[in-house]
Amino acid sequence: MKRKLISAIGVAGMMISLAACGGDDGGDEGKTGADGYAGQTLTVWVMDGSSPDQWQKDVAAAFEKKTKAKVKFEIQQWNGIQQKLTTALSEENPPDVFEIGNTQTPAYAKTGGLADLADLKAEIGADWTESLNNSSVYEGKQYAAPWYFANRVVIYNKKVWADAGIKDLPKTRDEFYADLKQIDAKTDAEPIYLPGQNWYHFVGLVVGEGGELVKKDGDKYVSNLADPKVAAAMETYKKFQSLSKAPKDKDEATPQQGEVFGKGNVGAFIGMGWEAGIAIEANPKIEKEIGYFTIPGATAGKPEGVFLGGSNLAVAAGSKKQELAKEFLKIALSDQYEGQLAKLNGVIPNKESLQGNVKGNAAAEAMAPAAAGGGTTPLIPEWAAVENAPNPVKTYMTAVLNGKSPAQAAKQVEDEFNKRLAQQQ
Amino acid sequence: MASMTVQTERPPSGPADVRKGADVVGSGRPTQRAASRAGALGPYLLLLPACAATVLLLGWPLVKDVLLSFQNLNMAQLIQHVTEWNGVDNYKEVLTGEDFWRVTLRSILFTAVNVVLTMLLGALVGLLLARLGKRMRFTLMVGLVLAWAMPVVAASTVYQWLFAQRFGVVNWVLDKLGWHSMADYSWTSSQMSTFFVVTVLIVWQSIPFVAINLYAATTTIPTELYEAASLDGAGAWRSFTTVTLPFLRPFLYATTFLEIIWIFKAFVQVFTINGGGPDRLTEILPVYAYIEGVGNQHYGMGAAIAVLTILILLGLTAYYLRIVLKQEEDEL
Repeated sequence: MKRKLISAIGVAGMMISLAACGGDDGGDEGKTGADGYAGQTLTVWVMDGSSPDQWQKDVAAAFEKKTKAKVKFEIQQWNGIQQKLTTALSEENPPDVFEIGNTQTPAYAKTGGLADLADLKAEIGADWTESLNNSSVYEGKQYAAPWYFANRVVIYNKKVWADAGIKDLPKTRDEFYADLKQIDAKTDAEPIYLPGQNWYHFVGLVVGEGGELVKKDGDKYVSNLADPKVAAAMETYKKFQSLSKAPKDKDEATPQQGEVFGKGNVGAFIGMGWEAGIAIEANPKIEKEIGYFTIPGATAGKPEGVFLGGSNLAVAAGSKKQELAKEFLKIALSDQYEGQLAKLNGVIPNKESLQGNVKGNAAAEAMAPAAAGGGTTPLIPEWAAVENAPNPVKTYMTAVLNGKSPAQAAKQVEDEFNKRLAQQQ
Repeated sequence: MASMTVQTERPPSGPADVRKGADVVGSGRPTQRAASRAGALGPYLLLLPACAATVLLLGWPLVKDVLLSFQNLNMAQLIQHVTEWNGVDNYKEVLTGEDFWRVTLRSILFTAVNVVLTMLLGALVGLLLARLGKRMRFTLMVGLVLAWAMPVVAASTVYQWLFAQRFGVVNWVLDKLGWHSMADYSWTSSQMSTFFVVTVLIVWQSIPFVAINLYAATTTIPTELYEAASLDGAGAWRSFTTVTLPFLRPFLYATTFLEIIWIFKAFVQVFTINGGGPDRLTEILPVYAYIEGVGNQHYGMGAAIAVLTILILLGLTAYYLRIVLKQEEDEL
């Protein structure tokens, strides 16, 4: 769930939410305390593109109505966010509420920088989807609230596929490969754009194989890249990567794969639904050609494993506005606004009951079948250090793509990987 | 800065002599002595702003860095404001690991190659400037100043694009010239090709400084000396080695010294082009300190590496410092 979410997916919801607002909280609890918050401003960090302007505006209005306090959204970039967040949390005035990636949450929970949200969970979190809430729980305590989730899909160019004479969308991994081969043979387009370090997709393949990136050795975690299941996932990755001319040592953001796809001469790429927006921004004419389908798995019945990216909302332990921050979370995560976010951004909401909101969003509909079989990187505090550049998993991938055997490549990065997992906390 | 250093070296009598003279004259009369005392304070007052700025902007961070290098400081300690002194553990871990020594050796080789290339090419361009006619000199000068004035991050980004694998103009040109295997060449996927790009960038950025300095130096050489040399039958090479070079030598020392410092700490170029990759193979000391310290949020360790980097740089430039100090002694 990295980088820029395209906020311009839709402008619906405004009327509905304003209308709903009016009917809401006429005179319920909090009235007495409400005036106590007047004049205060809550600072909320959200990641670039993760919440549309409309959502922010509506939530801010509802928040002000209920608490008389204002909310200030500050947009952050994913790149280098851990370093920035660490510094901010150490300061006198940290952001009161902030968005944090699900795989990063355990490390921050361990630092003591996140406030305990047990009472919030008790109040509004009874029906949060358990698998989505896992990353927020550390040593039995609730340190964050699940916000939204998403996984990758195949984004394809209908024209290129039609030119190659392909009629049906692939149902299995082999069919997918055969279709790409056919594009290669029958058109002059690049069948798939798959850079060597789209490591979130690789994590998805590992999940699909039932593998794990780390294993326990005594009381510490060590690299599990040498596992045959990981090797099998990497072989699948390599097979598809060989059809792409994309650099083997770059990730999907350098250059933005959406931009490459936007040039119109690429059959497909594996990305988040919102990355189609990047392509459209680069080349508006491509919009009508874009289609989505679930990444096909080994068999027709079961989609490919996917990395279940997502974000949680946390309250800074050092914030002086703990109560107000929780009031904000109650509004932002209410069915109304959680549903609105799912609808506008085409992301998976934190409860099953709100899933209906993504109906009609093609990317979200392609995403949904794979979500159930999705997984994440290990949810342990030690993991955060692994993701710091240069990420040894990326190094491993490039090594295999450049001709090393998976076993050799695993051995090559093992020291660095283990060093990071063992890094003093 | 280089030319300033050089000029203080060259006049045989410094300000010290002048002040000595003033003291002798003024010793008789009390009013003049007071005035001269105020006058003696003058230079120190004038130095004060510069010293204050140095202490504030360089000294204080340096002290902090040294303090940090004796602490175990990671995410948790930073967020909770806990100070955990751990003695020389950071240094022990850095110095006993082979990574640090590998990076140090790499940094020294990297600096050596770049400084030699920069000085050679820069000196040649400088001499060319001295020989060119007015109009061509002006044109070349403008080109040099523009290269020198380009912000480092902007220049690095442009080079990144130039050498991009798929859409870079360098690969395109090589392909058009008939070298088809370079059409999709990935400059950033091996250690040497990454260093090649970084070196081209750094040398390109450093040449103007060296060239303009040396050109300035050549303008101080009296033309009579060349006439005298040619009367004695010296050829072009001879008059270069016996007249030009001795005049240029202090400039060459000073410029080399500054280039060593500048290139040794060339963090931005190395980090922007490939982040110290592939596989951490192009990390030089400042990049290594950043990745271990800030990137991995292992701040104490990063501070220790930074302190060691400063010590190594001091060692590398000690030779020049000795020459400068010795010259000043000679002058006194």
